[in-house]
Amino acid sequence: MYQVEASKALLKPRLWAGRAARLRVPRNVVMLGMVSLLTDVSSEMVATVLPLYLVFSLGASPLVFGAIDGTYGGAAALVQVASGFVSDRWRRPKGVAGLGYGLSAIGKVALVGAGNTIGGIGAIIAVDRVGKGIRTAPRDALISLSSAKDRLATSFGVHRAMDSVGAMLGPLVAFGILFVAPARFDAVFVVSTLFAVLGLAVLILNVDGRPQRLRRAERDEAAPDDDKAAPSFRAALGLVTAPRFAPVLLAAGLLSVASVSDAMIYVGLQRNLDFDPAVFPLLYVMTAIVFMGLAIPFGQLADRIGKVPVLLGGQALLFVTYGVLMMGSVGYGALVLCLLALGGYFAATEGVLTALAGTVLPEKLQASGIGLLITVTSLGRLASSLAFGGLWFAIGLQSAVICFVAALALAMMLAAPLLLRAQRASLDG
Amino acid sequence: MDSRNGKITIVLVVLCVLLGGGYLAYAALGPNQTTTDARPQAGAAPTGVAVMVRAVDPTKPTLNGRVFVVEDGKVRRRSSDLACERVYYAAGRGICMGVAPSGVDYTAKVFDSNFQTVNTIDLTGLPSRARVSSDGHYGAMTVFVAGDSYLGNSTAFSTRTTILDMADGKQIGQLEQYKVTKDGKPFDAVDFNFWGVTFAKDPNRFYATLATGDHHYLVEGDIAAESMRVLRDGVECPSLSPDNRQIAYKSRIGTENRWRIHVLDVKTLNDHPVAENRSIDDQVEWLDNETLAYSDGTNVYTVPADGSGEAQLLVKDATSPVRLGR
Repeated sequence: MYQVEASKALLKPRLWAGRAARLRVPRNVVMLGMVSLLTDVSSEMVATVLPLYLVFSLGASPLVFGAIDGTYGGAAALVQVASGFVSDRWRRPKGVAGLGYGLSAIGKVALVGAGNTIGGIGAIIAVDRVGKGIRTAPRDALISLSSAKDRLATSFGVHRAMDSVGAMLGPLVAFGILFVAPARFDAVFVVSTLFAVLGLAVLILNVDGRPQRLRRAERDEAAPDDDKAAPSFRAALGLVTAPRFAPVLLAAGLLSVASVSDAMIYVGLQRNLDFDPAVFPLLYVMTAIVFMGLAIPFGQLADRIGKVPVLLGGQALLFVTYGVLMMGSVGYGALVLCLLALGGYFAATEGVLTALAGTVLPEKLQASGIGLLITVTSLGRLASSLAFGGLWFAIGLQSAVICFVAALALAMMLAAPLLLRAQRASLDG
Repeated sequence: MDSRNGKITIVLVVLCVLLGGGYLAYAALGPNQTTTDARPQAGAAPTGVAVMVRAVDPTKPTLNGRVFVVEDGKVRRRSSDLACERVYYAAGRGICMGVAPSGVDYTAKVFDSNFQTVNTIDLTGLPSRARVSSDGHYGAMTVFVAGDSYLGNSTAFSTRTTILDMADGKQIGQLEQYKVTKDGKPFDAVDFNFWGVTFAKDPNRFYATLATGDHHYLVEGDIAAESMRVLRDGVECPSLSPDNRQIAYKSRIGTENRWRIHVLDVKTLNDHPVAENRSIDDQVEWLDNETLAYSDGTNVYTVPADGSGEAQLLVKDATSPVRLGR
């Protein structure tokens, strides 16, 4: 009796393990993917219903939510760098990531208990954003340290695909609950809390906090006690000029400034095609599905033929998107093409870039470096959005896109030699 | 990791499924909330004033959003199944914006004087504002269109405002497509958002808010000509007095999402605040040419339009006040 139950219960993890084995992805990466999947279900559930909840239960305007959400974006960028460094300094990527996941879980519990004032919800969203800022860098460092260097892009692909499955499931679960129990936001918050707690539990119970590459690096450096000391703040700052990592950082910054954000692209498409704005969420879903499908194959491709060609190829897909935006009035075929290119661009760039950083960063500075990388790209994206919005306002959509085509071409020409240098250095090293 | 941790994980998964499923079952099938006809309760209402309001009681799904007619301090009538987040009514035709039966979409219903639905219109976002011209010919609706992202984290909201023919519920215009002029010159920008239509006695004319950058312009529009012109800055959710001489509106405090109710003179465009000193996020209604009615999200209050006096409770547990009997 016991045996039957146990084997049934173990069936699911075994299936995952089987898939992972075929992809040669370490168990730790799959478990981290599971943590992200569960946590994303939890936060996307809340993100989906929060505007409704604010408006209908608290009588606030959704603009309040937009303001609350935007305010903490900047703070999150600083938290990422700090948490990356602390995680390296204490040599506890799992502990610091756990703190981040824990904060978000506490935020969900607080929503159940005290989420009936606007100020309270503002504070809870702030805690959630800080939690997200804290966990990202150490989690990516754990993924990187759990994988062999030549399988890194596949590992990130698997993680990102699982992450986006969670982001897709979240709204479905939330709407499912509201469909069964109309206006019972408390039920959505309770179920969201359970998903967050499960995510944290999988992290604590099933993720190895001292993965292979980290342990080996610590063993190697055990002899010269000079090196044994925890990395200093100066060492982390030194990454900005480190001969192997600095080119990656610079290239990432350049490329992100020349890339128009997906939100801007959707608004541009809407202007050109004049479709119903109700279709907006569908655009996100379609892009996310393409991303989900391509993240793993593009990761594998990057491990086989090199990360830089895949990265640059993905960036080049943005030209397709820009082209559709530039054409003005286009058909729905072009819209689908545009979304395919956009999903492919995401799948070929974000995870692959982090993987490239993972190969050139020293083991003991992984989280600091990845934290820096995330901050640089998010600041770059912010600058890109401001520039694109300003240009659109000043000279019109088509001219703004032409400017960005030129900027992207220039950024790619500058970034290609930088990235190739970093990739070559990583092969030598 | 060892198998002990794997087993703990499985136990936790089972526990969470049971807890979540149990709570959901309780929420869906638990004790049914009973209806009370006592609410909304009228406060110190001026005699002879009849208003339509929507009831606020999030804990009672059978009461929340129902439309009540309150006259001389008593509830006269209530809708049985018409439930709204925003409601407006004039000359035998009303707009009720609310959650669709699916529970996940929004619809607007055009209803008659017996709260019977005449037409149903699918909405593209969260209900924000509704108005009907005083002759019942035109309707106007504003919704929030969310742009939430799976891959990014942008949560930018924009609004959509449509003009309806109340006779057949058909959309006859969208403010986003009207031509706008400012100081006699064409005016256009990517970030244009419109909300809060109010109709004049001549229903072809209306006022609304045009938001772009940090500005919230008062615009005067013409439905037949599909055009609008900018009058002044700093006016949100305008509401025209019955004699069309004054406009009550939300005046933003600094850059925060906090507002004071002000009243401006249509001829001079000069304005003054009213005695309500709390932040109010509502499109104000005029009970007569001297008195405003508005909601703080929980109750409906009145205040004199000339800045004198003080705010007084009109209807408890209600929003969306609509003056009846014009």
